[in-house]
Amino acid sequence: MTKRHAPLTRIELLQGTLDLIILQSLRWGPRHGYGLLQVIRTLSHGVLQVDTGSLYPALHRLERQEWIEASWEQSENNQRVRVYRLTAAGRKQLAVERSKWEQFSTAIAGIFAAPPAEEV
Amino acid sequence: MSPRDRGARDDDLDAEIQSHLDMAAKERMNRGESPAEAQAGARKEFGNVGIVKEVTRDMWGGGGEQIWRELKYATRTLLRSPGFAAVAVITLALGIGANTAIFSVVNGVMLRPLAYPHPGELVLITSQFPALGFDQFPVDAAEFLEFKERNHSFANVGAYYAGAVNVGAASSPARVPAALASASLFPTLGVAPEAGRWFTEQETLPNAPPVALLSDELWRTSFGGESSIIGQKVDIDGVQTQVVGVMPPGFDVHDQGIRLWQPLTLDPDSVNSYRGGHYLNLVGRLRPGISLATARVQLEPMLAQWTQIDGGTANATPGQKGFVHTPNVKTHRLRYDDLLTDIVGSAGRALWVLQAAVFLVLLIACANLANLLLMRAETKHKELVLRAALGAGRGRLARQFLAESLVLSVTGAALGLLVARWGLHALVLSNNAGIPRAARIGLDGHVLVYTLALALGTGILFGLAPMLRLNARAMSLSLREAGSRTTAHASAARVRRGLVVAEMALAVTLLVGAGLLLRSFEKLTRVDSGFDRSNLVTFNIVLPAATYADSLRRVRFFERLDEQLQQVPGVESAAAMSGLPPLRQVNANDTRFEGYVAKPGIPPQNVDYYNFVTPNYFSSMRIPLVEGRSFGPLDGATSPPVAIVNQTLARLFYPGQSAIGHRLQPGGIADTAKWYTIIGVAKDVKQGGVDAKTGTELYMLDNQSPTYLGYAPRNMNLVVRSTLATDVLSPSIRRAVASLDPALPIVGLRSMDEVFEDSLARPRFLAELLIIFAAVALALAAVGTYGVLAYSVAERRREIGIRMALGASEGGVLTLVLRQGMVLAVIGLVVGLAGALAVTRVVRSLLFGVQPTDPVTFAAVGLFMLGVAFVACVVPARRATRVDPLVALRLD
Repeated sequence: MTKRHAPLTRIELLQGTLDLIILQSLRWGPRHGYGLLQVIRTLSHGVLQVDTGSLYPALHRLERQEWIEASWEQSENNQRVRVYRLTAAGRKQLAVERSKWEQFSTAIAGIFAAPPAEEV
Repeated sequence: MSPRDRGARDDDLDAEIQSHLDMAAKERMNRGESPAEAQAGARKEFGNVGIVKEVTRDMWGGGGEQIWRELKYATRTLLRSPGFAAVAVITLALGIGANTAIFSVVNGVMLRPLAYPHPGELVLITSQFPALGFDQFPVDAAEFLEFKERNHSFANVGAYYAGAVNVGAASSPARVPAALASASLFPTLGVAPEAGRWFTEQETLPNAPPVALLSDELWRTSFGGESSIIGQKVDIDGVQTQVVGVMPPGFDVHDQGIRLWQPLTLDPDSVNSYRGGHYLNLVGRLRPGISLATARVQLEPMLAQWTQIDGGTANATPGQKGFVHTPNVKTHRLRYDDLLTDIVGSAGRALWVLQAAVFLVLLIACANLANLLLMRAETKHKELVLRAALGAGRGRLARQFLAESLVLSVTGAALGLLVARWGLHALVLSNNAGIPRAARIGLDGHVLVYTLALALGTGILFGLAPMLRLNARAMSLSLREAGSRTTAHASAARVRRGLVVAEMALAVTLLVGAGLLLRSFEKLTRVDSGFDRSNLVTFNIVLPAATYADSLRRVRFFERLDEQLQQVPGVESAAAMSGLPPLRQVNANDTRFEGYVAKPGIPPQNVDYYNFVTPNYFSSMRIPLVEGRSFGPLDGATSPPVAIVNQTLARLFYPGQSAIGHRLQPGGIADTAKWYTIIGVAKDVKQGGVDAKTGTELYMLDNQSPTYLGYAPRNMNLVVRSTLATDVLSPSIRRAVASLDPALPIVGLRSMDEVFEDSLARPRFLAELLIIFAAVALALAAVGTYGVLAYSVAERRREIGIRMALGASEGGVLTLVLRQGMVLAVIGLVVGLAGALAVTRVVRSLLFGVQPTDPVTFAAVGLFMLGVAFVACVVPARRATRVDPLVALRLD
């Protein structure tokens, strides 16, 4: 594990992106809530901070939408943990969300890449 | 999700969060933190466990589960203040219970349809005689046959005549309510016998073999419910009669408890010869698609053409020679009423008044509870502010208040159902013929739906009150001033005072209504019935037509019974009479008065009541004669026929002169009628009820009737004057009757006081219930006033303390608080009296001898109300004077 250090900037999550992040993070295998927090923090280089008050409601909501499913398992430290994994429906949803996100970020990128009007 | 699943999920979530904390702590320990540091750090990083749990749980499911959680939380909160919860639940149980009970009555009597198919098509058909002042009178047999034949609005019309018969073995017959019915009555009502068949038309012709239909109840109680009864012969009034059918349970007409049905014998050939016998009740079934209003219009031309049937004498006046009763537009109209409406009759308005009254009581209870919740919200203020700061939205807090009030109201309603069951039991027990259709009263599906609606309605109503404190401004104010008690909470205080004024006003309105009805009832009990009804026992005997076919035998029987009764030790005197006050029906007898010329504008020659009596009638009843003499021993069967009239008749037909010596002909249409001479004028007797106007009455001697009228009644009422109690006297009376004819059942053996009490059952019932409701309303309003004032005193302790420290006297403080309370009471009183003035017109038809604006009632209610309010205010005011300035100033 990397040593935890305070990131220079923290970014508030955009509305609706938490679902995408969770689904994407579960793509490579089942994880428990605590593990998800670590993964998100690490992969975003400490920029994205998800608090427990958002994570757990989101997990329980996605579970209810049947995009992820949960089961109790033994962790590597021999602890009982609640583990979430993607369902088939969740995979489809991830594809949808992802393509939306890509469109969105391409659009934003386009706006930033455009030269100022008077320079045309 | 069931509560059990929810519990399991709660445990799951706890475990999930715990494992999160454990993992975080373990990692911290791996980094070298001490276990205590690690745990604290993990917890700190995690955030508020409670809130995370709460927002996560919100994701679990739809509204249903959230509501369930709110309700569970609310129940827990309420259980923490059991005193408050108990007061609220009991108040609601009484309020909702009373409402449920009264609604059960309204539902059973007025809302539930009659037990016939398509009951809305059934119409009661009666006649009207405007000149005689009869608005709803039975119909003549010839008229029935003609109407049935000629009308095009009704699919069928049936007729019946209700009475009573003796049924069973000659040695011990039972007296049962019975009706003579036309064969068409059953198809009209549309109810098939549960066994056997209806009458045929042939069986209603003269000389047909006698047949009868039994009610289910009579069949079970008197004939053991054996199916072999069909085709058997039973003894009815001494005649062997074949049972052809049994009607299903609950079958009846016009709520009269008819137990036996016999064919109404009408001879189509001779029925037209006498058209003055208006004794039939007609029920018609409208053709499908024809409304009552349409039928009324359709039937108008038929009425106009009726007189053409037999030459027409529509312009003749009743009592005039040659007068023939034929329905016509002017003097003999027909009237059509919805059957259910007619059966419910005047009880309907009384029941709606009760329903309204009991609803007002519930509203007052709600106002009280709203105040309680409001004050509770004030004391829970800090908690609320804290929860709001922690992120519980306003909607969330509102939901919690609502959940709390709903838990209270639904619990209250559940208990209320028990209260209602018990109350209904008491109501139906206390009701002697006061309410029609009483057998239909019960807690059915409709009532349960009503109760549930009340529970939810009241819960929302008083649950809304604390939300007034939850508006955004109040919330932010509270945050800034959290913990401070100096804020005046002005808006909340205004709401509380407003509620108290409303409670007072509602209670005053109810009190005025109850007061008016109480005064009416008192006036009814004080009406002079015209005779001395104390120490009088009465009973009824019907001589069977088969064994007493001869009029002279009937007369002799009652003469001998009189003698037998006089000889019973302790009996002062006894007499027999055909008509017993106070519940006589007007029988409107055509009577010719000698020398009287019928002209428009003066009364037609018709007497409301005929009464055939034995000679000592007036002395036994203690009816004073205002003029002339009473019947005497010299007035024998063959001596000149004599009559006694009442004051009303004398005034009407012999104004400004003495009635004595004038002559009249009872049944004056027939040429053979004999002239009776008036020998006396008796004081008016309330034959038709204490609240009815006294009608004209003509007394004739039973023993002269066979000679001069060729008739004597089979149905007589006996009165026995004695200071002995009814149950002491009754064995001797039974022995006396049995010694003359052991087969005669004795009916309705009671004291005359009881008979009169029963005749007032409904006004008493109404007055009593309204008094109870008004008392409850007043008590609730007083408690409400007390509560609000006491709270205000507690809230103003500092202020009062400062005033006293600055030298205010005890009297000054007392006046200060008293004035605050009494101002509310006076406003409530004024609003309530104004409301009563506007509303009591509704009860006008239920009042007797009292105006809806009766100043005595209004003044008494006002004074009483102020007195009660004063008591409610004095207690908290006195408490205020005992405020210790030092303690009060040190508060907070």
